[in-house]
Amino acid sequence: MALPLSYNWRNLFVRKLSTGLTFLLVTVVVFVLAVLLSFSEGIRASLAATGSPRNIIVLKPGSTSESTSVLTPEETNRLVQTPGIAQDAHGRLMISHELCVQTSIPRRDAKGNLANVAVRGVDEVAFDLHEVVRIVEGRRFEPGTQEVVVGRAAQQRYANLALGDEIALGRLLNRRFRVVGVFEAGGSAMESEIWAPRTIVADAYNRHLSSSVVLRLEDAALAGPAMDYINGPAVNLESKTEVAYYKDLSSKTREIVILTTVLITIMGIGAVFAVANTMYAAVDSRRREIAMLRTIGFSKRSIMIAFVVESLLICGLACVVGLAASLSFHGQRQDYLSNATWTVLAYELKVTPRTVLTALALAMIVGVIGALAPALRAARTQVIEALRKA
Amino acid sequence: MLRLTYLYRNLTRNRLRTGLTLAAVALPIMIYVLSMAVVDGVERFLENSAKQLRLAVTQKASIVNPLPAGHRPKIEALDPTRTRLISVCGLRWIGGKIERDPRPLSTLGVDHDTFAATFPDYRLTPEELDVWARDRRALIAGRATARQFGWKVGDRVTIHPSVPPYIPMEFNIISTAEDAEDPITLICRLDYIEERLKEEGWAQGLVNFFFVKCATKADVDYYTVAIDELFAGSTHETKTQDEKAFMNEFITQQFDLPRNLTILAGVTVFVAVMAAANTMSMNFRDRTSEIATLKSMGFSSRFVFTQIQAESLLLCTIGGLIGALGPYIAFMHTRLGNLTVPLIQHLEISPTVVLEALAISVLIGIIAAVWPSWLAMRMKVVTALRSLE
Repeated sequence: MALPLSYNWRNLFVRKLSTGLTFLLVTVVVFVLAVLLSFSEGIRASLAATGSPRNIIVLKPGSTSESTSVLTPEETNRLVQTPGIAQDAHGRLMISHELCVQTSIPRRDAKGNLANVAVRGVDEVAFDLHEVVRIVEGRRFEPGTQEVVVGRAAQQRYANLALGDEIALGRLLNRRFRVVGVFEAGGSAMESEIWAPRTIVADAYNRHLSSSVVLRLEDAALAGPAMDYINGPAVNLESKTEVAYYKDLSSKTREIVILTTVLITIMGIGAVFAVANTMYAAVDSRRREIAMLRTIGFSKRSIMIAFVVESLLICGLACVVGLAASLSFHGQRQDYLSNATWTVLAYELKVTPRTVLTALALAMIVGVIGALAPALRAARTQVIEALRKA
Repeated sequence: MLRLTYLYRNLTRNRLRTGLTLAAVALPIMIYVLSMAVVDGVERFLENSAKQLRLAVTQKASIVNPLPAGHRPKIEALDPTRTRLISVCGLRWIGGKIERDPRPLSTLGVDHDTFAATFPDYRLTPEELDVWARDRRALIAGRATARQFGWKVGDRVTIHPSVPPYIPMEFNIISTAEDAEDPITLICRLDYIEERLKEEGWAQGLVNFFFVKCATKADVDYYTVAIDELFAGSTHETKTQDEKAFMNEFITQQFDLPRNLTILAGVTVFVAVMAAANTMSMNFRDRTSEIATLKSMGFSSRFVFTQIQAESLLLCTIGGLIGALGPYIAFMHTRLGNLTVPLIQHLEISPTVVLEALAISVLIGIIAAVWPSWLAMRMKVVTALRSLE
């Protein structure tokens, strides 16, 4: 027979200080875990959402990202023969020449440090080709004008990007561009960018060679042959599916995940000890009580379970509180400078279901491991001796 | 003597609990030491930058936009006597990778004639400088990077640049810059890159930034303004900052790591305090009757108070020693020291951080024992003994 839960519940309040300290400790550990993971989850979500398996991005071999890639017209011309390129409604090949440059814009936070924001020069076709891009406010820019559309994330994170604002772009920051639209791109990395007419960007930055070319295929299954063609002697450039390209950029999250794992393991071990300490005290101070329970017929097992349940109660509650506290970070905008593209990626901190499950698992593991040894000791209580001692 | 015996007996009475508490203090202290080592690394780096009295000149709109190499003679002409403005060195970032290895390199091409004067903190020997001047393919490899890739002086390495000319380039490693402040960057000669750019038909004569070495702090302030004024209104306007501000811009954009790690270190110390306080209060609970007995035998409240304090102090200090010296020995005296760490790449744990951690563990010991020792001091003997079973 199992002991009633209310027994465990009431026991928690017998040693308020010890229970409270352990509770606080597990809360803090869960909180730190959830916050650290919200960074990597946010970045991962943003980069994972970027790119379509039907799109192929073509770069200069050897370059690590669009920012360091330069393609000559002679090279991009070789791409038109690529097999499987889709056509738009007017029968034009869906090939988007893109020019990636940067500008410094202050952040919207108090310090207002400058961030290196990506500016993408594109033609009309880019809006059809990057299917996730949707104008949600205002309109698209007119080709050949000094107008820009800005990503939702960029608008939220950096200053002066509201509809109707003017920003300075160009090599000398001497061209005024008007913000005429805001776009969303399914939470992807492109939402951290500013898009402007390609020819005007080329002129403003005095950079006339494209950074990358994106090809839209008729079907994702055609990606293999198309990439073979491009990487081969016929074109001799480097191509990846957009999905793979952005996945490679998310290598940064690996560092955060490693850091988180190391820290949480160490803190988790600390928490296990604290729980064990508390539970030992609980067992030791209740020797007589345990002996009594054994005498009236509770099995060793049910007593063991009772202590594990007690520990799980503390850890479970602490987990809930820790997660709740971490939710205050959920949805906050952060950014980081990618060392591959030299531009910032603005992402949302995310407390995802996966984080919740990880935190729960951690709390449960800490609770069970911490309670195991004390519970064993409780179960092994010598009834006669414990009762006689009294 | 009695005190010490009593202390020792108390700690060995419940070995398991003592062990658990030691670990619960040692592990957070370890996190503290490691985080602070990273923060320290960043700070040391910035401090050195400030000491060097150097200016970083970049293109006005963005660090990514190149500047013409021709800016160098113009900047130099601001002080033809070279008394206030010592030297100007142009740098071009080529990043790079080696064949079949995903790890990105940080390679910079520099003006070879002014490099040594502008970056004396690389501390190259006269022999190394001699080779540097003669060998167009010379490469100075940061010691941490060299160790990672197993490179030695005299090795020949092929680097694939991430920017034009994009073709593989061969270098001869002439130094692993053992005494340089920067253990990561690879330095090569700009004239070699220019030569390859010319062969491949790319634009030449461009640099990403200039570093300008000044004689005094006043000169740093003066030229910060003077250089930008010189190019104001031209087609290649500049932005000049002292090196510390320039570096700081990069670092704050990398998750603001120094600030966030400091917060994290604070949280872990908090964890350690709670874990230790937990044990101490339990220790006290277990011994209520014993303390009452001690008091009734005539030991003063002060004795009881200091005894609990001393116990906690000893426990936490030992925990702190384990937590602080563990990583210190691991990173400074074993192969673990070659591990790459984000942002600073190479972790160096200074004795100062170890001492700081020890001081913190002593503090943890005191704080953890405040409540139980105060209770013990205030305890009424009669009540305590009466509640005995």
